[in-house]
Amino acid sequence: VTTLTTDVLVIGGGATGSGVAWDAALRGFDVVLVDRLDLAEGTSGRFHGLLHSGGRYAVKDPHAAEECIAENVILRRVAADCIEDTGGFFVTTQFDDPEYADRFAAGCEATGVPCEEIPAAEALREEPRLNPRISRAFRVPDANIDAWKTVWSMARGAQERGARVLPYHAVVGIHRDGDEVTGARLRDARTGEETDVQARVTVNASGAWAEHIADMAGIEGVRVLPGRGIMIAMNHRLVNTVVNRCQMPTDGDIIVPIRTVSVIGTTDVHTDDPDDHTVHQDEVDAMLEDGERLVPGFKQARALRVWTGVRPLFEDAKASDTDTRDVTRAHALLDHSQRDGVGRFVTITGGKLTTFRLMAEETMDLVCRQLGETRPCTTSTEPLPGSESGEHYTLGERLERKEERLREDQLICECEMVSRDRLEETMRRHATTNLDDIRRQLRLGMGPCQGGFCIYRATGILHGIDGLSAEEANGALLGFLQERWKGTWPILYGDQLRQARLDDWIFQGVLDVGHLPR
Amino acid sequence: MRGELHFDAVVIGAGMAGLTAATRLAEGGARVCVLAKGVGSTHLAPLTIDVLGYAPDCVEHPEAALAELVAARPDHPYALIGVDAVAPALQWFASCVADGPLPGYRYVGGLERNHLLPSAVGAARPSALVPETMAEGDVRAHEPIAVVGARVLRDFHPALCAANLEKGGRAARAVEVELALDRADANALGVARRFDDADFRGAFAAQLAPRLRAGERVGVPALLGVRDPHGAWTDLQRRLGRPVFEIPTLPPSVPGIRVFEILRSALRAAGGRLILGSEVVGAERSGGRVVSVRAHAAGHDVRYHAPWFVLATGGFASGGLALASDWVTRDTVLGLPLRGTPGEGEPRFVAGYFDEQPMARVGVAVDAGLRAEGAENVLVAGAALPGAIPWHEGSGEGIALASGHRAASAVLEAAGAGAATA
Repeated sequence: VTTLTTDVLVIGGGATGSGVAWDAALRGFDVVLVDRLDLAEGTSGRFHGLLHSGGRYAVKDPHAAEECIAENVILRRVAADCIEDTGGFFVTTQFDDPEYADRFAAGCEATGVPCEEIPAAEALREEPRLNPRISRAFRVPDANIDAWKTVWSMARGAQERGARVLPYHAVVGIHRDGDEVTGARLRDARTGEETDVQARVTVNASGAWAEHIADMAGIEGVRVLPGRGIMIAMNHRLVNTVVNRCQMPTDGDIIVPIRTVSVIGTTDVHTDDPDDHTVHQDEVDAMLEDGERLVPGFKQARALRVWTGVRPLFEDAKASDTDTRDVTRAHALLDHSQRDGVGRFVTITGGKLTTFRLMAEETMDLVCRQLGETRPCTTSTEPLPGSESGEHYTLGERLERKEERLREDQLICECEMVSRDRLEETMRRHATTNLDDIRRQLRLGMGPCQGGFCIYRATGILHGIDGLSAEEANGALLGFLQERWKGTWPILYGDQLRQARLDDWIFQGVLDVGHLPR
Repeated sequence: MRGELHFDAVVIGAGMAGLTAATRLAEGGARVCVLAKGVGSTHLAPLTIDVLGYAPDCVEHPEAALAELVAARPDHPYALIGVDAVAPALQWFASCVADGPLPGYRYVGGLERNHLLPSAVGAARPSALVPETMAEGDVRAHEPIAVVGARVLRDFHPALCAANLEKGGRAARAVEVELALDRADANALGVARRFDDADFRGAFAAQLAPRLRAGERVGVPALLGVRDPHGAWTDLQRRLGRPVFEIPTLPPSVPGIRVFEILRSALRAAGGRLILGSEVVGAERSGGRVVSVRAHAAGHDVRYHAPWFVLATGGFASGGLALASDWVTRDTVLGLPLRGTPGEGEPRFVAGYFDEQPMARVGVAVDAGLRAEGAENVLVAGAALPGAIPWHEGSGEGIALASGHRAASAVLEAAGAGAATA
């Protein structure tokens, strides 16, 4: 067992944990960031991609709306390259309570969410596929945000400042010394090797899994109720603006255009197990019907993929009259020295992706207080690596790059325009044998063919770069094939079934990967 | 409606099954027309004639395994077609190739013993009848294999192929060469056309020869020519002084394009018509018969009348079958009843990619004579038939050929009988 010593151990490599690591590194702390899987493989990588303007919460939860718009403005600046400025609409359809629109406008006004009512005809001119029967439309500064890019930018930025980032390292035990947490024992999920981390402070940023980590630390009453939601990615950008139903937030009322697809979400179903990713047929049907209400013909479009994400909904089983936590706040920061008499341990959970930076700031402010240090937060002004220019990414960026090097570069994933040079560079830098890790970096295999053509190519290239054995290469291929199938089979119909069958012919027929030597 | 045309038989679909049925019908004297939305499976499949590769273990003797398969699965297409009908269909196809427009090009093998050929990832694929240009790749032969590729060919990765061949116990290694192409992305058909050129082959061989070892045979991606693959292949073997074989890889399939040209040429030679870009969009019925189909082409509709129709529109991959977002499965062309569709509330697919998928065996319901249920003058051939999982069994081309062949015989027999009684 090797031992690492650090100032701050962050457990959980989602947006919040990576945000804490980035924040801490900027404040000059030494950091170790760990996740049991890849970074942003949990909730952060499993949402619809919406950077909230706050409009969604303007009526229901004004405080959350205020947080969202404040963070929206900050992230557009510091994480510019991770954001596409699509703008957003709230539209009143014939299925929505017509009274809500005025309350919505008033709520935006009260919470400072920029909101401009525009003629329905103008919204339809900009988004011709939108339900033509909308009666009112409001423009808000919604956008989309690429969570994987954001998380990895923060992780790399932290690494550049000395942080150690350890994906695929599961926490198997929390070290306690009397009333203090002193670090954790990690197990490398790939090699089985164990590592001890000794930390001045340990931050539990494990989101929906926070209860599990708190249990390991011997802390009671941290209850996280996982709320599972499904999302469906439709081929193409059915809309180019984020479209919200102008009504009290409910299921299936947002369509987010992101990268090459449009994502509809979501549902909220209680589950006992945050690793439960079951997709239920009735949820799929309901989501497709909801899509139809916003974009007529939605069901005839090609559904690429369905997935679920698990929200961490925090409930403090120890809550008492003296608990000062503002109950309307979406995120929960627990100072375990005050709450439980356990020092050097902090839990941050709940919240939403849009507010991850704020959560990280508050967390590190608390850590600093525990350590008796005053180091100011700079994440609201310091751009993430890659975002220094302040320019947002655009949909056509990859095509533009390809056109610049039309004859020199090879496309490996045509759907998502992943070039061979970028793929090889990422494989070298990332040193992983898991093509799904590469997918989260480059969107490899995320387009209409769901890897039909690129999985073989990418496996061949990976095999060459990493000097893999045939067994490892086959594992990469078969693993990714199964991973792609996971998100397609519950929603296979229409042209996507046709594609899946073509992929069957390629993999099982032409390549015969079902009979690779064992 | 812009036109009314009359034929003895109309075949819908231009894949292996449709072209086989149509050519056989034309050879039998029928006035036949093929209507197709586009080219069929030929451009996607490696076009080895896989009759039965797995049952579920790797099949060495397809003829014997076929007999066992139909005994165990009376609903399988081979049970309807009849095992005895398979060999004549293969023979017919082999002579079609031999007599075709590609000089010297032929298919070798048969039902006695499967070839065992390397796939592009280095698995060993069992196949009954294969292009001569692939046959030397049989992994049971002892000569070590040099798998040759080039960076510019993104759809072929020789090192991975060789590594799996090695893992499977065969001596193999990869050799990377440079192909004289002026861009980073090579198009399979474009490269295959270059191999029709003797100078290109000469440069390729000159580069490769010094890097080969004594006793090695040479595996290359299946790109050795479109116009004259036999010439390209024999020339390369001569230049390298050793056996050379093609390894099929991702679509588009050059061996498949060759077969499409061969069958199209045979169909035309026999007097048949092939109309691509002509999508069948409707049918007129009278009682239990289809009397005509309506095809949409170039902005207008034409009605095709015939006493017989052959439905060879394929399965889900080609769009002949479709599952809509309301979860109803249908035959998209004639709307005929299906067989093998999971019932309401039953799973359509399951979570394990390699597990048998409940939707896998769906097809157009037929009787023992391949006649569609509810349409007595419609015969069904190829992947539209229910009961098989061809990509999984390694049976796609075998079923297509044998059922296309058989459907044509049925029409000719019935027409002959009709003529005799008339």
